[in-house]
Amino acid sequence: MEKSITNNKKMIGVVLLIILALPIIVQDNNFRHIMILFVLYAALGEAWNIITGYAGQTSFGHAAFFGIGAYTSTVLLWKFDIIPWIGMLIGGIIAVVVAIIVSYPAFKLTGHYFAIATLAIGEIMLQLFVSWEYVEGATGIMLPIKENGYKYMQFHPMNKLSYYYIVFGLFVITVITAYIVGNSKMGFYLKAIKENPDAAQSIGINVTRYKLYAMMVSAFLTAIVGSFYAQYVTYIDPFMVFPLALSMQIVLITVIGGLGNIYGPILGAAILIPLSQYTRIIFGGTGKGLDLIIFGALVVIVTIFQPNGLVGLFENLFKKIKKKEAINDGKLHDVS
Amino acid sequence: MKRKKWLSLLSLMMVIALMITGCTTAEPVASEEPVVEEEIVVETVKIGAIFPLTGGAAATGVKLKYAVETAQEIINGEYPEIAFPMAENAGLENLDNAAIEFIFGDHQANPEIAKSETERLIQNEGVVGLVGCYHSSSTKPASATSERYMIPFVAGSSSSSALTERGLNYFVRIAPHDGMETEFFFEYLKNLNENYDADVKTVATVYIDNEYGVHANMMVDKWLEEVYGEEGFERILDVKYPSDASNVDTEVLKIKEAAPDIIFHASYINDMTMFANAYQLYEVQPKVVISYCGGFQDQQFLINLEDAANYYSGSNQTIPAIIAANEALSKANEIYKAKSGVDFDGPALEDFASAMVIAEAINMAGSTDGDAIMEVLKSEEFKAPYFATGKIKFGEDGQNEFSASAMTQIIGGEYQNVWPGEDTTSDPVVAFPDWSTR
Repeated sequence: MEKSITNNKKMIGVVLLIILALPIIVQDNNFRHIMILFVLYAALGEAWNIITGYAGQTSFGHAAFFGIGAYTSTVLLWKFDIIPWIGMLIGGIIAVVVAIIVSYPAFKLTGHYFAIATLAIGEIMLQLFVSWEYVEGATGIMLPIKENGYKYMQFHPMNKLSYYYIVFGLFVITVITAYIVGNSKMGFYLKAIKENPDAAQSIGINVTRYKLYAMMVSAFLTAIVGSFYAQYVTYIDPFMVFPLALSMQIVLITVIGGLGNIYGPILGAAILIPLSQYTRIIFGGTGKGLDLIIFGALVVIVTIFQPNGLVGLFENLFKKIKKKEAINDGKLHDVS
Repeated sequence: MKRKKWLSLLSLMMVIALMITGCTTAEPVASEEPVVEEEIVVETVKIGAIFPLTGGAAATGVKLKYAVETAQEIINGEYPEIAFPMAENAGLENLDNAAIEFIFGDHQANPEIAKSETERLIQNEGVVGLVGCYHSSSTKPASATSERYMIPFVAGSSSSSALTERGLNYFVRIAPHDGMETEFFFEYLKNLNENYDADVKTVATVYIDNEYGVHANMMVDKWLEEVYGEEGFERILDVKYPSDASNVDTEVLKIKEAAPDIIFHASYINDMTMFANAYQLYEVQPKVVISYCGGFQDQQFLINLEDAANYYSGSNQTIPAIIAANEALSKANEIYKAKSGVDFDGPALEDFASAMVIAEAINMAGSTDGDAIMEVLKSEEFKAPYFATGKIKFGEDGQNEFSASAMTQIIGGEYQNVWPGEDTTSDPVVAFPDWSTR
């Protein structure tokens, strides 16, 4: 059986290699910063894809898990001098626990109601952290400056490449996890649940349990990326890590790239992140909001002309090429 | 088969690319030839200026941009009629009359973008100093980033006292911080009680839930606990509202019920306008409303509310009456007004000052080296004829020690200087007249 491009391990490997090599080849710190954001958002999109793309449960509150990851590693470093690697894992575990607590009742809701519930969870987290004095509330936390190196994930003066290696490693973990989930028994169950939850239940799939598993995996991956973000930015406040805008950006990236597909978040982030950054860099200083107008217009154009995501465009191209090859090899007759 | 070939080709390209990268070194290769030192003539000195040019605070951010552009015009041109440092001759005298160029960045009121813009301006644009960012929450990561690159950062109007409590070596601030402002407010209230029989005691704080608002509220706690609680002032209400609030009726009804004598506001122009409209709607009748540096100081407040803006007060570096009394400042204000359509307000003048001071420090240092500029910033006293104090001197922590504001109040549709000193333009008016009579 011919594998589709989305399941081709070699293809995925080549794509990852290209992404890894770009900031090494282009020795410009601004470009490296944009690559860090691109990979970071692609990883967030991959994590979100597991619960929404595979399991069909639309979450508008993933910023909650992102923020939990960011705050956990930051507070542990700031108050207890615990290295961010451990903070990252603890943040992931806390996010999983929160995901279980909030998702179990939320999964009883279906369709739009589940999406609305997740939206509320994100906002509740934001308000909680704004009012929580132990984590400095709205004034945010400035990360303490620690020794240079991978131990504390701090590099002075700013060594973008080292940050890039870390976020790339996290990105690879999310891609591999998404691949494994997508091609495992659990992945097929999730796809069945997405297509028709009642039918899936009737053939013996424990729908709630598998949706919960997907949410746990998704929350964990989102939280570890959040931890990295805090180390990279070195300052966090609730409005940076829990905003609705972040949840929406994750959704936008994945939907524009292509839902339920490993390449979707990568393509979406590859288009949207450089676009938003470069338009801001070029036009932001004018003070006329040109960057936002251009960014918005391009998003509208992509959405109108490729509503199934950019992956759909590439898959169609790939199919056409395969068909042409088959016609040339005489396996198919051209009926056009 | 074809796909396999493509994959092999791609992989080969990656390996070649990685090999090339491995062979490339970022370090300059030492040459065996003797290096002939050439005098480098600096033609333009670039300084980064980061403000909220889009988003909710864009109207204010754009005015601050105009203020910095006004400073740039004065420094680069010849303005002997404006008796400010750097105005008489074109450019930086000690750097062969090099021109100053401010490169603007937009942080969109987002701390993450403030950090990114700081890095971009330093690395890509090669700026040797920075000014900004208005929002304290954006100034925090931006100045922490400039510290890492050892680039001096002169903050104009950011007011959170936390900014100068971090022990940064490359950061100074022009504006008074919220701790200084709070003490100033209580002294003004004491003056009202002693000289105008105001009988004001109960305080409500109303503040936005970000670094600026929350920190201002903390300063009220601090001063009440340490000094003014014992002098009879008492806080009876604490109202925090979300930064994206589109309606403040609930908050205003709470305030009406508590009926405080005094309201301290830490709000930006949009929120301040919303609150003022709701105070009128629900006939909230405090005796005194005092604002931290923010919405009240923006002349848009008066334009938005017209007569309803009367009797609000707040600390301010300048008002039109002060500008009119200062010939040099009036002339600088003409340049600013041609760009912005309004007179200098407090924050705009503070950011104008930040641009003037960093340019003067570079000129005095005769160098664009960060350490040399900081040495000047930390050791020199700068003439600042555009401020009532006339001078700027940064302390060990980077705070301007002479950042004294005037208490201003809108009376008869105009900002008036009501306290302290001899330069007042009016007596303060205590108590809002009944809304039904206005």
